[in-house]
Amino acid sequence: MKAVLIQLLLVGLMLMMGGAVASDRVSLPKYPQPVGDQCVEPTDIMRREHMNFITHQRDETVYKGIRGIAARHSLKDCIDCHVGYDAQGRAVPINSEGQFCESCHNYTAVSIDCFGCHRTTPDEVSKVRQFTGKP
Amino acid sequence: MSYLFAILFYVSLGIFAVGLALKIRQYWNTPAPLKIPTTPAPTTQAGVVFRMFREVVFFESLFRAAKWTWIFGWMFHLGLALAFVRHLRYVVSSDAFVWPLINNWLVQFAGQYASLMMLVGLLGLLGRRILVDRVRYISAPSDYLMLILIIIITVSGIMMSFVAPIDIVGLKAFMTGLMVLDWQELPSSVFLIIHLGLVAVLAIIFPFSKLLHAPGVFFSPTRNQVDNPREKRHISDWAKNSGLDSADGV
Ligand code: HEC
Ligand code: HEC
Ligand code: HEC
Ligand code: HEM
Repeated sequence: MKAVLIQLLLVGLMLMMGGAVASDRVSLPKYPQPVGDQCVEPTDIMRREHMNFITHQRDETVYKGIRGIAARHSLKDCIDCHVGYDAQGRAVPINSEGQFCESCHNYTAVSIDCFGCHRTTPDEVSKVRQFTGKP
Repeated sequence: MSYLFAILFYVSLGIFAVGLALKIRQYWNTPAPLKIPTTPAPTTQAGVVFRMFREVVFFESLFRAAKWTWIFGWMFHLGLALAFVRHLRYVVSSDAFVWPLINNWLVQFAGQYASLMMLVGLLGLLGRRILVDRVRYISAPSDYLMLILIIIITVSGIMMSFVAPIDIVGLKAFMTGLMVLDWQELPSSVFLIIHLGLVAVLAIIFPFSKLLHAPGVFFSPTRNQVDNPREKRHISDWAKNSGLDSADGV
């Protein structure tokens, strides 16, 4: 009786952990390589604080009207550099499975609603040209 | 640092698991010689399960005994439960079938803000020990230490959650790395080091501390017995087959 209970408990725990125990290597989020060789802030800071940068930028834009090149942490720019492209060269929405924002947020159980309003692929007049010189 | 913490985690979780298992075995094997459910008590087994449910989820008897202690204690424990569910994101793989239950806005949001309720509850409980004369008189150093330990863990967690964010991807890699023996770097953050260091301390002292009330409540004879002494004679396990169990043996 006791032994059965304990075994049930252990099996239950292992099932819960699921995939993590199934492989012998740590899995990490995978997404397409971004454009350029550096982000708008040092990478390790972006990793921790990107949400603060973009929400701060939103306030700057919406309240003070700061747009375009002066808007250093514009959400549009994130997409310009970080969006992935399919075999036909069309941009894949950045919030779809395996793409930049989604893969990382799925890995860490983060849900965002920004893309209910904001576009998920680059604009025709994207600022990516200014960053990369690409047409 | 990463290796130090990896070793600390293996050791502390080992002590926690083995210590807790031994304690539960001890509780399991401790005889309950007398029929002593606190009345009014349920007269059926299903009733006892329901009573235990109310005790564990709502702290019923504490509610009847002391309203202030109940409100702070319950805030803390409810917050702890919600924050615990949010913490599962650091160890459960995003391929696991339970992942949709964790990767869920409501669960994560509730877990994040529940920490504030937890802190209020903890400060209330600490205040009770300091401000209420009767309680101060019976408080031992370990009572304060446990509260302070958990308060510091909570505050460092709140700092990471609301003030100084850390590299969550790196942390998840570290934690899942511990589980699959593929060790990863621990992200650098003072608050994370405080948080995890004290969590390890907590895990080590848990099996020797008053926090054992968590498994212990299920073994309380005053709560887990059916009120049926007339219908069914109560004989302690050790008294069975000893000759004492006959009608005139006692
Ligand atoms: C209800 C629709 C809506 C939602 C949801 C929304 N936004 Fe916006 N956002 C807007 C509008 C409208 C503007 C104003 C655009 C302008 O004036 O240029 C804006 C502007 C911005 C800007 C400045 C413009 C730019 O592209 O840099 C940022 C940054 C931004 N939002 C970030 C976010 C983030 C991050 C989220 C998710 C947490 C979010 N928004 C969710 C409607 C929305
Ligand atoms: C100029 C192109 C560019 C823009 C604009 C840009 N990024 Fe980046 N970003 C990069 C590159 C390149 C890297 C990888 C740098 C490296 O490998 O060290 C990166 C890295 C990151 C990372 C870390 C990923 C990791 O490896 O963990 C995050 C998070 C990030 N960016 C978010 C953003 C957000 C949010 C925005 C919008 C405010 C943004 N980026 C705008 C190019 C860009
Ligand atoms: C390196 C992994 C990573 C990448 C890539 C990433 N994020 Fe995040 N993001 C996170 C983590 C982790 C959090 C939550 C931190 C926490 O829970 O404390 C987060 C939180 C956010 C939040 C705040 C959500 C909330 O409810 O507080 C926003 C907004 C956000 N990210 C936007 C983006 C956008 C837009 C992109 C794509 C341009 C992106 N992120 C790419 C890891 C990432
Ligand atoms: C292995 C064990 C643990 C790990 C890896 C861990 C990790 C973390 C991390 C990374 C955060 C920050 C969350 C964020 O940035 O959003 C956090 C927050 C927090 N932690 Fe822990 N923690 C552990 C154990 C505990 C324990 C035992 C307690 C309770 C006493 C606790 C209480 C909290 C609280 C209250 C918060 C703030 C609310 C939240 O964001 O969930 N943690 N923890």
